[in-house]
Amino acid sequence: MSSAYSGPILELRGASFRYPGEGMIVQDLSFSVANGEFIGLLGANGSGKSTILKLAAGMLKPSKGQVRLWDKPLHTYRNKDRAKLLCYFPQHLDVNVPFTVREIVGMGLYPYDIPPHMTVDEAIAMVGLEDKAGTYVTNLSGGERRRVFIAMTLIQGAGVLLLDEPLANLDIKYQIEFLRLLRGLQKQKGISVIMALHDINIAFQFEKVMLINDGSVLGSGSPEGVLTGPLLKEAFDVAVDVERSANGALYISHGTIL
Amino acid sequence: MRTVRMGIFIAVAVLLFLLALFAGPRMINPFGMSTTEREILLSIRLPRVVVAMLIGMALGASGAVLQGVLRNPLADPYILGISSGASLAAALGLLTGFYAFGSVSIPLTAFIGAALVSLLVGAFGWKRGGLWPERLLLAGIGLNFLFSAVLMLLLSVSSDEGLRRAILWMFGDLSMADWTLIPSASLFMVIGLGVAFARSRALNALILGDEFAHSLGFAVQRERLMMFGAIALMTAASVALGGTIGFIGLLMPHIVRFLLGADSRVLIPASAVAGGAFLCLADLIGRSIMPPLELPSGTVTAIIGAPYFLYLLRRKDVLSI
Repeated sequence: MSSAYSGPILELRGASFRYPGEGMIVQDLSFSVANGEFIGLLGANGSGKSTILKLAAGMLKPSKGQVRLWDKPLHTYRNKDRAKLLCYFPQHLDVNVPFTVREIVGMGLYPYDIPPHMTVDEAIAMVGLEDKAGTYVTNLSGGERRRVFIAMTLIQGAGVLLLDEPLANLDIKYQIEFLRLLRGLQKQKGISVIMALHDINIAFQFEKVMLINDGSVLGSGSPEGVLTGPLLKEAFDVAVDVERSANGALYISHGTIL
Repeated sequence: MRTVRMGIFIAVAVLLFLLALFAGPRMINPFGMSTTEREILLSIRLPRVVVAMLIGMALGASGAVLQGVLRNPLADPYILGISSGASLAAALGLLTGFYAFGSVSIPLTAFIGAALVSLLVGAFGWKRGGLWPERLLLAGIGLNFLFSAVLMLLLSVSSDEGLRRAILWMFGDLSMADWTLIPSASLFMVIGLGVAFARSRALNALILGDEFAHSLGFAVQRERLMMFGAIALMTAASVALGGTIGFIGLLMPHIVRFLLGADSRVLIPASAVAGGAFLCLADLIGRSIMPPLELPSGTVTAIIGAPYFLYLLRRKDVLSI
């Protein structure tokens, strides 16, 4: 994109959203994402994380306020052009049609007339599914399916990834590998990521987190500053302690439950 | 590999088309036809086989698109109520003595009925500026029941002679096929098929879900509206051409997915070819099995199709629900 521009890549300005006849889900929300920034989005179930990501992806239109991508209103982009810059990864993956792994990953190239950067097989290799490239996704486990869609997202090659709980259903090994993969892409290509998360302990690894409560930002900044006992209590309505392990990493502890 | 299979697929379809043309209660030798046989071939067999091919293609393709749009592998174009609406309109036309357009009257009323019902289903399926699969499906099921009930009511209180024809027509009777309707019906089908094929990438994306489709750069609601229009056009034209012929729209996409995969770019044209070939075969069986009596093609497709569908249901990798 234009090298002269140094402002935020993605920005929500006073965005509000409500479904007709229902209460506000997102209330006057403003935040911006800088080039190469990694943001963890945390909040209780129903706090509005998914709605915020869908607003940022242009899937929902704000009833008030604006979403801007590269300093231009998001809705002024042609669909295909937007898809090359911005990619959304939904929380629920339910595919009951027997597409092969290769077919689904190949769909990541749909926005392009001339295939760019990476081949389908390279993307499949990046998520470790080389030996299953010809398999029907309907015959894969939940975690393997998720990796198929991660490969599709990678090949789509957008600079901004909006990921709604991409780690759900993944074994710890693939959680770590996926996060490392994203980190690598951030370093190589300067991609920006907003990721809705469930696991607070993973959020401690991010440079920046946003804690969401009732559709607005409760706290935003470094994990140490935001993920504190009192704020977590307010967001999740449960008392937890934030502790430091022997190697200096922060983690949350909820004592003995059972 | 897939190209080879596709080639075999088309070859089988062409063979079945030719078989339906030359075989039957009276076999015709293509290399030594008498004048009578040539006459039978050109004015009876050929239009009939062409009609079978067209209807089968329209139903196969619209089934493939509809199953994707609704994200439901059990959808059949008739589930939208288009065919029962067409049947009702045709029966009403017969009962009220609407013969203004001669032999074209039944197909014409049927097509008008099908078009009106498509608009009605679309209207019920519309909310918040778009078509929603669940609403379309439920609206179709509701209207289907309503039209079938009214149709039964009409049939039970009337003793009209024309109704036997109407009932036969409803079960997919190709015996009346001639060249009259073929040009206009083909036009609608070509438009529908063209739109469906041109949007096959978008259909693939929609099958993954609205969110992926949006993320991949498709205008979800606009795509769905175009596909619904294509389905309505093809189904309406097919019902007008030969009545209600069951199982093709449901079954063909499943057979094709099993043989050639689920990619809509292959699925849509291949389901069309398979549907055309299957109906040619079913019609051939229907008119050959106990001549001079002819079985309506719709019953033949259901009698062959239903058991095969149940067999497919047992195979986990084909119907993964």
